Amino acid sequence: MANVTSTAAEPERLQLLRVLGPAHIWALGVGIVLVGEYMGWNFSVGKGGMIAGLIACWVAGLLYTCVAMIDSEVTSTVAAAGGQYAQAKHIVGPLMAFNVGLFLVMAYTMLEAANAITVGFLLDTVAGMQGHSGLNQQPFIILAIMFLAWLNYRGVLATLTFNLVITAVAFVAIITLFIAVQFGASNVPLDFSAITSDPLPYGWVGIVASLHFGLWYYLGIEGTCQAAEEVRSPARSLPYGTMAGIMTLLIAATMTWYVCSGLIPWEYLGQAGTPLFDAARVTGSTSLMVLLFVGTTFATLASANGCINDASRAWFSMGRDRYLPSWFGAVHPVYRTPYRAIVFLVPIALIFALGAPLDQVVTFSILSGLLGYTFMTFNMVMFRNKWPLDTIKRGYVHPFHPLPTIVLLILCSTAYFAVFLGYGTQLSAMMCFYIVASLWFHFRRYQFVRRGDQFTMPWPKPQGY
Amino acid sequence: MAYKPPKQSLAGQIFDVLTLLVLTIGALYIPLYLGLAGAVKVPNPIANPTWEALGQNAAEQQQWAALGITDPAAANDIITARFDYSFSWAALIVMAVLVIGYFVMVVRLSDREYREVIEERFGDKKR
Amino acid sequence: MDTWNYLEYAAWALSALFGVLMLIDLVRIDTTYDNELLISSREGEIEATAERHEI
Repeated sequence: MANVTSTAAEPERLQLLRVLGPAHIWALGVGIVLVGEYMGWNFSVGKGGMIAGLIACWVAGLLYTCVAMIDSEVTSTVAAAGGQYAQAKHIVGPLMAFNVGLFLVMAYTMLEAANAITVGFLLDTVAGMQGHSGLNQQPFIILAIMFLAWLNYRGVLATLTFNLVITAVAFVAIITLFIAVQFGASNVPLDFSAITSDPLPYGWVGIVASLHFGLWYYLGIEGTCQAAEEVRSPARSLPYGTMAGIMTLLIAATMTWYVCSGLIPWEYLGQAGTPLFDAARVTGSTSLMVLLFVGTTFATLASANGCINDASRAWFSMGRDRYLPSWFGAVHPVYRTPYRAIVFLVPIALIFALGAPLDQVVTFSILSGLLGYTFMTFNMVMFRNKWPLDTIKRGYVHPFHPLPTIVLLILCSTAYFAVFLGYGTQLSAMMCFYIVASLWFHFRRYQFVRRGDQFTMPWPKPQGY
Repeated sequence: MAYKPPKQSLAGQIFDVLTLLVLTIGALYIPLYLGLAGAVKVPNPIANPTWEALGQNAAEQQQWAALGITDPAAANDIITARFDYSFSWAALIVMAVLVIGYFVMVVRLSDREYREVIEERFGDKKR
Repeated sequence: MDTWNYLEYAAWALSALFGVLMLIDLVRIDTTYDNELLISSREGEIEATAERHEI
């Protein structure tokens, strides 16, 4: 068994390229998530009404602030390409790590599929407005995935610089819409009368139910850790980029709720495909409409781009540890990307993008994310127990431990119940999937894994072992 | 004594990937095919819909018009559709058992594997 | 036939192009380099050199 310190000196090792700065981390985190403001979050209004949508927005914001704090601490210490996967491997154990790796790949691949579906839907809407009905969405869905996979294949710096630009444009579009509406650019007045006339159409249970899609405002912010091996200074950049990301999203989410709820009747909003674009349509201003069309397209592309990046890093890391066939653990000698993982995940994303309805794909993605957040709660507690603060140096230490953990666990339980209301079958099917996959890993796959090699951090022995 | 894993053949690698793929696609598509998937909103359209009867004020009517819906009858289904949040406690308990049982199982099996890893990594010979 | 039809064909063509570019490069790399080199990446290399996490 090779000692870690000596392997670094050996020549002829291919590594991922360390080129990213904090801005790229922000772009990766916010880029994946910002699309949630352009589509999907509004189903929370449909599930509980306007007020429930706003409460869900803030409660989910609290949940994700906890996620970001916990995640920043662990990931500033475990800086490896798999993100939470490598955390689980070092802190909880191999089977948990395999499951977390699957959560990541599933959540991101499904989100990527959902983004591609949205691109197709949006183009269809625009073609319809120009009098072309029955657009074939398939080529556009495939093109979105193929182009972004190709970009990812060619190198991480170009990929995330591209993401930085289009994410910034999409974010500015939301702010512009908000300011323009404030200064009366809309032909139709803002109207919040439904808050008083129809406050909670489903009663209190509606607030809980709406949390299901409230998660969509922020889902994926934790993906910043996947870039750990490609960041120049992970201990500094990762917490900084992640925290800046969650603040950006809290602002964007609240503005989005305000503009959309004010401009669109909640009954329509609750089932709309592209709410911000619809809000721009209601204002009657062509320039806002074009801006929000560009914003929606860019947000979906940025998200799909980040998802390809993250899912392939997780898949690659699992291959590298032989949790999956070692063939996937390859680095491209020129571009320094996990190229086999990127190519392999393309057809999988296509299967889901072309074959499954949007809300199914979204639910599958949300559930995988939710399982991942549940894991973070006990992961954090075990991390502090096995390596107390005075044993290893952390790049960032989050305050008020264990309060964020407890809050996160309570909110996760509530979110499971929210998903259960209406999507109980999927939840059960998913749990069965993860149970079967776990048994498969434990009893068959784990025989191919080198035991001691999995622990790669230069830490002291954990306490209690 | 470090554990030496067997070398996996190419066919074995392909087989393992296929197993995972079948599991994944199965989990997504089986509920779809069985028709069990998805929460459905049920519209309860009212007779002789007018904007007032549907509870839409003047500003909201303008908004509907801007979205391309000027006829209240066309908005009738959208406005009156509601989810059904009644659920059975038995199903809730089954789900809770599945989720909690899953995490307990994974953490316990992980811990067993983890002890082996720590044993090998920090065993007597290493430090 | 209008613009949107042409766009559909263009999208098909570009998808195929990007797919083929990736596949050609994948095959080329896999046949040019030794597989052991390609899968030589290891986790935790930065910890071994820069970030020791020592207090």
